[in-house]
Amino acid sequence: MADAAESGAAAPGENILVAEEVTKVFPGVVANDAVNVEIRRAEIHCLLGENGAGKTTLADILYGVYQPDDGRVLLEGKPLELHSPRDAIEAGIGMVHQHFELVPPMSVIENVVIGTQARQWLDLTEARRRLEEFFADYDVEIDPEAEVGRLSVGEQQWVEIFKTLYFGVEILILDEPTAVLTPQGIEELFRILRRMRDEGLTIILITHKLKEVMDLSDRVTVLRRGKVVGTVDTADVDQRDLARMMVGRDVLMQADKAASEAGEPVLEVDEIHLESDTGRGSLEGLSITVGSGEIVGVAGVSGNGQNALFDAVVGVRHPASGSIRIAGQDTTESAPHRIATLGVASVPADRIAQGLMMDFSVKENLVLGNQRERQFSRAGILNRGQIDAFAAESIDSFEIKTPSASQITRTLSGGNLQKIIMARELSGQPQLIVAHQPTRGLDIAATEYVRRRLIQERDRGAGVLLMSEDLDEIFQLSDRIAVIYDGRIVAVTEPDATTLEQIGMHMAGASDTDQGSQ
Amino acid sequence: MSEQVADAPQDSPRPDDHEAGAGRDPLSMLFQPGAWRLERRLHTRPVYELYATLIALAITAVIIGLLVIIVGVSPLDAFASLYEGAFGNRESALETLVQATPLILTGLCAAIAFRAGVWNIGGQGQFIAGAIGTWWVYDTFPGLPAPVLFVAMFCGAAVFGAVWATVASVLLVRYGTNEILTTVMLNFVIDSGLSWLLSGPWQANDTPYSQTERMVESTFLPRFFDDSRLHLGFALALVMAAVIHFLVRRTTLGFELRAIGVNKQAASYKGVSVGAAIIAVMAISGALAGLAGAGELLGLHHRINFEFGGQAVGFTGIIVALVARLHPAGVIVVAIAFAGLLNGATQMQVGTGIPAALVDVIEGVALVLVLLAAVACRYRLRKIAHHG
Repeated sequence: MADAAESGAAAPGENILVAEEVTKVFPGVVANDAVNVEIRRAEIHCLLGENGAGKTTLADILYGVYQPDDGRVLLEGKPLELHSPRDAIEAGIGMVHQHFELVPPMSVIENVVIGTQARQWLDLTEARRRLEEFFADYDVEIDPEAEVGRLSVGEQQWVEIFKTLYFGVEILILDEPTAVLTPQGIEELFRILRRMRDEGLTIILITHKLKEVMDLSDRVTVLRRGKVVGTVDTADVDQRDLARMMVGRDVLMQADKAASEAGEPVLEVDEIHLESDTGRGSLEGLSITVGSGEIVGVAGVSGNGQNALFDAVVGVRHPASGSIRIAGQDTTESAPHRIATLGVASVPADRIAQGLMMDFSVKENLVLGNQRERQFSRAGILNRGQIDAFAAESIDSFEIKTPSASQITRTLSGGNLQKIIMARELSGQPQLIVAHQPTRGLDIAATEYVRRRLIQERDRGAGVLLMSEDLDEIFQLSDRIAVIYDGRIVAVTEPDATTLEQIGMHMAGASDTDQGSQ
Repeated sequence: MSEQVADAPQDSPRPDDHEAGAGRDPLSMLFQPGAWRLERRLHTRPVYELYATLIALAITAVIIGLLVIIVGVSPLDAFASLYEGAFGNRESALETLVQATPLILTGLCAAIAFRAGVWNIGGQGQFIAGAIGTWWVYDTFPGLPAPVLFVAMFCGAAVFGAVWATVASVLLVRYGTNEILTTVMLNFVIDSGLSWLLSGPWQANDTPYSQTERMVESTFLPRFFDDSRLHLGFALALVMAAVIHFLVRRTTLGFELRAIGVNKQAASYKGVSVGAAIIAVMAISGALAGLAGAGELLGLHHRINFEFGGQAVGFTGIIVALVARLHPAGVIVVAIAFAGLLNGATQMQVGTGIPAALVDVIEGVALVLVLLAAVACRYRLRKIAHHG
């Protein structure tokens, strides 16, 4: 925006916003580990990384949502102390989150002026003038009087962006702005962002899509596991380089894995369609088969249908069409407890929201879902003796570090949380294990432990469907690799027959022909 | 530690779609101290919660004391006469237990539903439904021998209360209708229904008033003492508290309803049928309020009239449950304390001229402060290093 451009006194190209050794720790995880990033004035700077790499946490620190535990943020060379987003906006930093902060029943104008009015009365005429000017200037067709709740998601994003610019910010942070857009919408957004950059606005764009980085950015900083891998000029790299930086070539550890022959299919997913419940990542005719005694790794960037696939297999949601068979039985419409009784273990991606009762004790979580099994209850009354015995045995054999079995689960570290889930899920000698991001957020030891257990289960004869964004993990554990993109499996191969880069390209939505041209 | 990656923080609802950063904490954003920071405790020791509750009640006493001073009465005199009326002698203490009886049951009604994360605000209506059920059994099966009739009447009360609650839970499970709204509105519906019954089908022949006939004496609940109204219903309430405690802590159903109260999503991923659990807990909840209705009818009033339910024990039960932090044993203690307030208020009014309505203020202030204390318990102040 013009306002933003004119207010900038310093010349383009010099550092405007700098994060110095920024560290942010959440209970059990280091989200940002001594992160250094330099944002230059009037550039489009991408923060690239896998899910959980710490991109959004970093942005939230720059926007004052979080305060760093260590390190500092400098704006135009001066230390910046932000206690809230309001402070950030006053300092000229605005952010548009993935989840919009709009008031749906109110009009576009009203949404834009919320929070901007220092005076007692609303001056909507001025807002309307600027809004109409802005929309006309950038060829965006939105009626300023329209009710925001009735606009498309893409249009709502424009309202969010303009709302932020209306505050007169010089730095605009966008968190995965293309997730909600159509390809045409993305093109339009990029065109306008480029023009805003040319007019002096500094733009920080969070993404995990390689193509967007290449299309749009001037420079890119890659984050992995909370650390900065490096900052590069986009012109100096190609998608392959970025993919390598993003997933990391250095192998954490070598899994000890013997060759294995797949047996009878334990999971047959045939052409299923399932609408996403979040607006992202629906299934569009996905098929995949897992045999007993094999690990099928599903590689993919988050939001391409992994959640929906997990939900469909464990029975939390049912596909609109297609079929799912587990151990030969049709479970397309089966309820989760019925599927569990077929010998299906599930390790959800979000262990806190989907896998555990954080306010329950450790032992209660160890029997969660099996509380009606004869082992743990008779006639509806819990058998405490058996539960205690089982908990003690699990804590011992899965090396769960907890002061006692009665400890409230919330107090445990991420690795131990996952061990509780593993102990619970593997207790019944499952035929099929569905694991989604089983090592995300875990330290090396816990990661290794979880991987070793999965391989043990495979050797015992279980089929494992492993969904992961960690390509090292996929390569180390899988007997077959499938790549999920846009709700479909777009490639199936074996680890020996492919490369990290090839899989990465498939994950980024590039077809084989694209690769050939590079 | 340094190898760990960002994961979603504690409260993030769907971290798969966004990274660490989702669980923004309004309280810590509200307070922006320089060197001190308010942060969430991972776990609060139960004994802290007890202390916090006691501190909250002490502050309540101070606030009420100040109010009393404004009226021009010595707080000590006011509290003394309040205590005298509530527990000062055998007679008033027993009467306090009489008043506590329905509050224990309606308190349990709210507590078990809230435990499951289901906001049953319809205890009052379910209480009325219970009285209606009692009368219906009494009216329909006059020939039953006394012991059977007692059992049948209490069952009738429980079933009617449960059914009335189930109306709301079915709407919730089938159509996602907000149970707070439906339970509140059902309170009005049954009030009107009762009016119709009392002025129509069930109206007593011998009076012009909207009321039922007086029940025959063989249906009166036995009383413990000759000089007190304390009836068997109090024992029933204590037994139900024990039953609910056992149900919540020791049964699979209790396990599942606590699970849906803590985390519905994880519960459904682990095969708990959330809908069935909601239906079950609401039925139990409504049955408890229904039993309270039966106890009041058979133990004290022996007829239903417009006054019935006028004490709004269903609503007070909600406050009882919340102040008791949803623990059955706590419900007994708080119900007796609140009954003492109600009972002592009359004495206080006579003795000091302070309106008995002050009791409502005490209940309200206590509720707000106890809830604040409960929230405060989850945080701690920590000194942080200063940057920049």
